[in-house]
Amino acid sequence: MFTNHQIQIQSLPKVDDINFTNVEKSYFSIILFNLIITYGLIASVFTVFKVFSNREGFQELYWWLIVVLVFLFLIQVIVYKVGFSKRKYAMREKDISYSEGLITTSTTTLPFNRIQHIEIQRSFLSRKLNLSTLKIYSAGESGGDLSIKGLPKETAENMNAFLTNIINERL
Amino acid sequence: MNDFSFDSPSRQSSKGIIVIFGVSLYKFIKRVAIFFLIFFVRFVDVYATKVILGACIGVLFFIAYSLLKYVNFKFYVTEDYFILHQGILNKEETSIAKTKIQNVYIKQNFIQQLINVVSLSIETAGDNKTEIEIQALTVAKANALKRVLLENRAQEQYETTKNDGSLYYKVSIKKLLLEGVSENHFRSFIFILFFIIGLYNDFKDFLESLNIKTRFDGYFAFSDTEILSLLIFNFALVFVLLFIAFLFSLIKTFLENFNLKVTSTNKGLEISKGLFNKVSLVLEPNRIQNTIVKTNRLKQWLGLYKLNFTQAMVNKKQQKHFTIIGLNKFKVDELIQKFYPNIFSSVVKLKPEKYFIYRSTLSYIIVLALLNLIFSFISVELFLINIPFVIFASLSIIYSYKKAYYSIDENYLIVGSGKLVDINTNFLELHKVQGVALKQTIFQKRRTLASVMVYSSTNAVTIPHIKEENAKSIIDFLLFKIESSKKDWM
Repeated sequence: MFTNHQIQIQSLPKVDDINFTNVEKSYFSIILFNLIITYGLIASVFTVFKVFSNREGFQELYWWLIVVLVFLFLIQVIVYKVGFSKRKYAMREKDISYSEGLITTSTTTLPFNRIQHIEIQRSFLSRKLNLSTLKIYSAGESGGDLSIKGLPKETAENMNAFLTNIINERL
Repeated sequence: MNDFSFDSPSRQSSKGIIVIFGVSLYKFIKRVAIFFLIFFVRFVDVYATKVILGACIGVLFFIAYSLLKYVNFKFYVTEDYFILHQGILNKEETSIAKTKIQNVYIKQNFIQQLINVVSLSIETAGDNKTEIEIQALTVAKANALKRVLLENRAQEQYETTKNDGSLYYKVSIKKLLLEGVSENHFRSFIFILFFIIGLYNDFKDFLESLNIKTRFDGYFAFSDTEILSLLIFNFALVFVLLFIAFLFSLIKTFLENFNLKVTSTNKGLEISKGLFNKVSLVLEPNRIQNTIVKTNRLKQWLGLYKLNFTQAMVNKKQQKHFTIIGLNKFKVDELIQKFYPNIFSSVVKLKPEKYFIYRSTLSYIIVLALLNLIFSFISVELFLINIPFVIFASLSIIYSYKKAYYSIDENYLIVGSGKLVDINTNFLELHKVQGVALKQTIFQKRRTLASVMVYSSTNAVTIPHIKEENAKSIIDFLLFKIESSKKDWM
């Protein structure tokens, strides 16, 4: 029978009420490692230039560049460190949410019935630390995909199994 | 019903050799034209015979290439698969399950129009890389193949619509011209400016060899006030560029939308258009994701609206063709209501918070500060640019706030936005939403504001700077709608 009751907007389940779980603390060392690699690469490019370039003035400029680089690096580390506690995830009966970001906090929610496929990624370092990244794709090319980094390996696998099961049932 | 058999491997129409030849030569020339031109200008006197010989060998190479490509290009259709063999040295076999075929397009470019063949391209679900194009088929054979490829799908979905549909809309030459004239020429101006700067870098040496500089120096020596003539020259240059930009938008609009026809069929709309590149596509209602109505001040006054549909599972290149221009207000509303029934019955326009103004003002101030910092290094006179910039910025801020609104009801989301001249309205059915996000900067948090991002499979729509509690209840409502509805998004 067709029903069309009025919905009380106030009584809808609220994303706000969910208890979010923080990602693993050890994931911060991976962030740190990636930052060091990135900045190290830029610094080494400058250094190569310094050694091979005959240009006047670059020698002096070089140290300024390094100072700026170190400064940027420190700022980024601080932003990531302070913002680390904002990296949280939660699952409800019908959707999954992930929240991150210090300066701009964004909380993305994907309903299960729109998930297209799921993927687990493990880099070299995350294998050492027993971590995984769970990627959840919707059909959108426009963004709106979730990538939960720094999950314990078992949690990621459980979530993957749970979600895969839901997707398969839907088909 | 079918005069053509696709059971055994067959080649395309033998005219395909011409098409392959033309298209590959065109692509080649487009890529190396600049080098070739420089080379030609420098050496044509000295090595005339060798240059011509080289060109002949090149043409022969392309003929041989086209022949071989034609001979090695075979396709056939089995019970469940479309199979294609191709490749001259590297043989390649592609097979596509018929059930995976999303779209079959029939198109005609300039060469194909001349020799009266069409190209047929097949688009599959999922990845965008496997796009298959058969470059030359006769119209009848192409239609037959399309029918065979799509026979698994619901009958009415592929039925050739040319005859049974009724013509809904046809653009007139006058409308087409008006559309071209009222485009935002500033955009093409910037585009052309960068194009010319790029060209200039490529041709720098060549131009210098022509001694333009000394010639101009000689020219300017005539006038008493050199600065004045330089100023006039610069103004003239800008004027010429603006004129080119104007012509550019006009011609582009004209070529792309020439003879635009919208046919209404039992299953949706069929759009066909184009002068040199004829395209014909079917718009399926259940695949429409976002629909965007675009206009600007001038166009609105002239009664011109552009309707832009985005379809799921269609690649980027194809996506831009799902556009109907030159519609009047009545037709636009009618078309919108055809795909979104009763959408206008319960529109309640809600505005973003005033923080919107503050935020855009702040970003303009930052840009302005940076600009002035640069100016202070170059010349003090450049500070004059601040005056038009401030006027432009303030008008832009006021009007983008005026044009921003959103409306949500049981079934639809409407978001309006715009800048100084542009006016856009975005329509989306709630069950086509893929995901939602709440975004909040620390500055918004202080004022308990937030923005909502709504993702469909083709677009991301932003509802900017609204009260945090409203943002949260919108998200809860959208999630409830998606999760409780049985309707699929496609």
